[in-house]
Amino acid sequence: MPELPERKWTMVVNLDTCTGCNACVVACHAENNVPIVSEEEVVRGRAMHWIRIERYWEGEWPDVKARYIPVMCQQCERAPCEPVCPVYATLHSQRENLNLQVYNRCVGTRYCQNNDPYKVRFFNFFDPNFEGLLKEQLNPDVTVRSAGVMEKCTFCVQRIRRSEEQALVADRPLRDGEVVPACVQACPTSALVFGDLKDPESEATRLVRGNQRKFRLLEELGAEPQVYYLQSGHSAVNE
Amino acid sequence: MTAQRISRRDFLRISAAGAALSVLTGCQNPRRWVTLEPFVSPPEQQLAGVPTWYASTCRQCPAGCGIVARIMNGRAVKIEGNPAHPLNRGKLCARGQAGLQVLYNPDRLQGPVRQEGRGSRQFQPLSWDDALLSLVSKLQAAGDKVVFWLGSTISGHLYDLFQRFASAINAPDPLVFDLYTAFNGYPTLIQANQGQLPAYELGQADVVFSFGADFLGAWLSSTRYGIEFGEFRNQSLGKRGYLVQFEPRMSATGAKADRWLPLRPGAEGLVAQAIARLIADQGAGPTDRVERARALAADVDVGSIAEASGISAEELGRLAQIFAQYDRPLAIPGVPLAGKDQAAGIIAAVQVLNLIAGVAGQPGGQELPPAAPGLLLKRPAISSMERVRQVIDQMAGGQVGALVVYGANPAYELPDQAGFAGALAKVPFVVSSTPIIDETAVLADLILPDRTYLESWGYTVVTPGFGEMIVSSQQPVVGPVFDNRSLADVLLAVSREIPLAAGGLPWADEVAFLKESLGQLAGSEDPERFQADFQQHGGWWQKTAPALEAPETSPEKARPLSPINFLGDEQEYPYYLHLFMPTLLSDGRGASQPWLQGSPDTNTTISWQTWVEISPVTAKRLGVKQGDIVRVTSPAGELEAPVYLYPALRPDTIAIPLGQGHTDFGRYAQNRGSNPIHLLDVEAGGAGWVTPRVRITPTGKRAALATFENQVGVTEGFINEAFPGR
Repeated sequence: MPELPERKWTMVVNLDTCTGCNACVVACHAENNVPIVSEEEVVRGRAMHWIRIERYWEGEWPDVKARYIPVMCQQCERAPCEPVCPVYATLHSQRENLNLQVYNRCVGTRYCQNNDPYKVRFFNFFDPNFEGLLKEQLNPDVTVRSAGVMEKCTFCVQRIRRSEEQALVADRPLRDGEVVPACVQACPTSALVFGDLKDPESEATRLVRGNQRKFRLLEELGAEPQVYYLQSGHSAVNE
Repeated sequence: MTAQRISRRDFLRISAAGAALSVLTGCQNPRRWVTLEPFVSPPEQQLAGVPTWYASTCRQCPAGCGIVARIMNGRAVKIEGNPAHPLNRGKLCARGQAGLQVLYNPDRLQGPVRQEGRGSRQFQPLSWDDALLSLVSKLQAAGDKVVFWLGSTISGHLYDLFQRFASAINAPDPLVFDLYTAFNGYPTLIQANQGQLPAYELGQADVVFSFGADFLGAWLSSTRYGIEFGEFRNQSLGKRGYLVQFEPRMSATGAKADRWLPLRPGAEGLVAQAIARLIADQGAGPTDRVERARALAADVDVGSIAEASGISAEELGRLAQIFAQYDRPLAIPGVPLAGKDQAAGIIAAVQVLNLIAGVAGQPGGQELPPAAPGLLLKRPAISSMERVRQVIDQMAGGQVGALVVYGANPAYELPDQAGFAGALAKVPFVVSSTPIIDETAVLADLILPDRTYLESWGYTVVTPGFGEMIVSSQQPVVGPVFDNRSLADVLLAVSREIPLAAGGLPWADEVAFLKESLGQLAGSEDPERFQADFQQHGGWWQKTAPALEAPETSPEKARPLSPINFLGDEQEYPYYLHLFMPTLLSDGRGASQPWLQGSPDTNTTISWQTWVEISPVTAKRLGVKQGDIVRVTSPAGELEAPVYLYPALRPDTIAIPLGQGHTDFGRYAQNRGSNPIHLLDVEAGGAGWVTPRVRITPTGKRAALATFENQVGVTEGFINEAFPGR
């Protein structure tokens, strides 16, 4: 068994080109069997979207601005959700810097959700209801979570595994851009870029390295999130 | 798989590697199952755990994006963009991805049904043979008085068959009308651009002025314009395009703009004329542009336009300077609701800016579509509102013996004032082919559910192709889920029984017809080989030299536009109404798909509901809060819905999204929200919609909005007094 290389998976989100179109949101629902909750449950604050577009209003009429920030699990290096899990359902993969969620260990204490500063963990209050034929759309690569289980964005770990295995079978290193999570695949403006920060030549590294526009969400909390955001830029037009 | 043969030893080695890996990761390794599958008789190209991808064409809007469907064990589990397709280059919007829920919708009809008594909703299943016999006898009885009412997302070959059928029985040419194209102004855009939809290649533009075009939303192609927008912001050498958006309510496109200018509804064309005038008067920019501006700009008074639009004269002057100065400016006309009655004039006014800039017909500017390839391939011709009015009048006058509805839902999509339901009652026989019972099917006698697009054959001539000639292929990605027949086969079967039609449609079945239609694209290639490649790669495309002819806008001076007409007295109805098409539900066809219902609207984050957007300034004056249910009354109709305080909206305007308010159309759509289309009127004898003014009355009822930020539901639970029954 060959040793798999160390990785630092990361997502770079270019806020200048995110148009809030929700293509990533639906792609994620389809890829990861994330249930759609009813209107009643959304109203109670139990909507489930592993990735969501947060919209921030800035300013007042007539100088109003709306900003979009796609928010998914930030895959923190020092994740606040991890140490509080009593059953190691929420744990860290040191090799690839992923924040894993083991569904069949989860006993539903919701401590992790409570400790999660980004509010990207979702609890199944009920069994998911894929009515009638909708069961046919389920992705067989991903477990359907039952009631009482916490779930969250995995950076499409099933796609990472598949690509790693394919590279292994072909006896070659994994290429940059080979692993494409569903949200990144769908994004029409290519605002989302996924890659390995350990690879000095990857597009993600190139975008993050020395970029004046980059920031991370709630960086001051010290959780070392692995999702980088690039602020909107400015055009060279005399306003 | 490579062409190389895999020896037994290799095979074992692969499986050993797979097994070892699965132990390491603790995850199920799907590949392991491949080695364990007993090779009894697996379906063609299907191995358990190994996905197969089939290329096809999306039909959730008329754009014609290429898709690939991921098939696992005969089930479609994911739709992605086709990376080889030149229109959408592997990308796909939310609606396109939700296509799986068209295929696997739990409310799909499982076979033909008959309705005893229209509106009774008592549907009796019947066999295909009986259904076809009934259809034949009714069509024969109707003679040449048959109207075919089609949706814009129809496959080219089926449109072709409908046309041939109609002409064989001497019936009028099929009508193509749905809300998506009508509301988005397709007929006017097509008219203004030599019979085809234009393409705006903003990917290479320096400055884009968008006059109410929500091109990143549900307009011409949200995927392609998304790609263009990504390029627009990330041009070579670090150049970043500059976007100015004129619209009364901030759309997603407006939110991404560098300048958002909230002008008065309907003033888009006036502002475009003022900018053209100012380029001529200020003399800013290159001399050739100034000369063209002097020749083309209408003689308008900038001061009065500033007043009418709410954008100051100084601001207009600055904008004119920006537009004239940069190398590649581009103006995009949207066709918002206000001013639909003079949409042609507004589009022409915006077009003049492109002519002045010299970008009309240039790559990176406004591309003019090349001629559609091949004479035999068909593209549905979108009908005008005038034609719709005529057909409704004929129906009401008893001049229509049978109505065949395919891919459209006029009973939902037309305002009550258009009188469609009343006219339909005068038609002796109505047949719909919707896969889910919708509002029109409830008023029909017979429903022959078509296969959904993921189970069907077809092609789409993609226009605009953004500089390429594209014919996108459609093939079944899975076997039919139910015993439903393709409507093309139904038409061919029926035509064999009707003497007049029999000669016009001699093909044995759909595939034979499709092969013959596509044969012309094969050229010197072996037709069978071509057909296989066509299906496998998702279509046929060819780079063409961009057409360089400027559009035939009159070279003489444009005439000043007249002010927009609004329906309703200013005192009685103090607010402008701005309806908009939401990105996910679009014209309401998305409402049956839970992924689209349950995903949040971008700017409000509301899912599942209809809301009324009111400026916080106006709300304060009216004394209404977020979630208060208000009644919105126009001279044509009224609705009730909860208020969302929308900061980026003119205080004199009320905005409401389309898409909800279905009385039928499956469990996810039914009895949810309101359909604001009934607030509109269709101009009697005219070619467009009339934009009404509205008034707002608080009702004292409340609803908890299904938003991200909503606190009411967390503390008080679910409240929606707009629907006490639910």
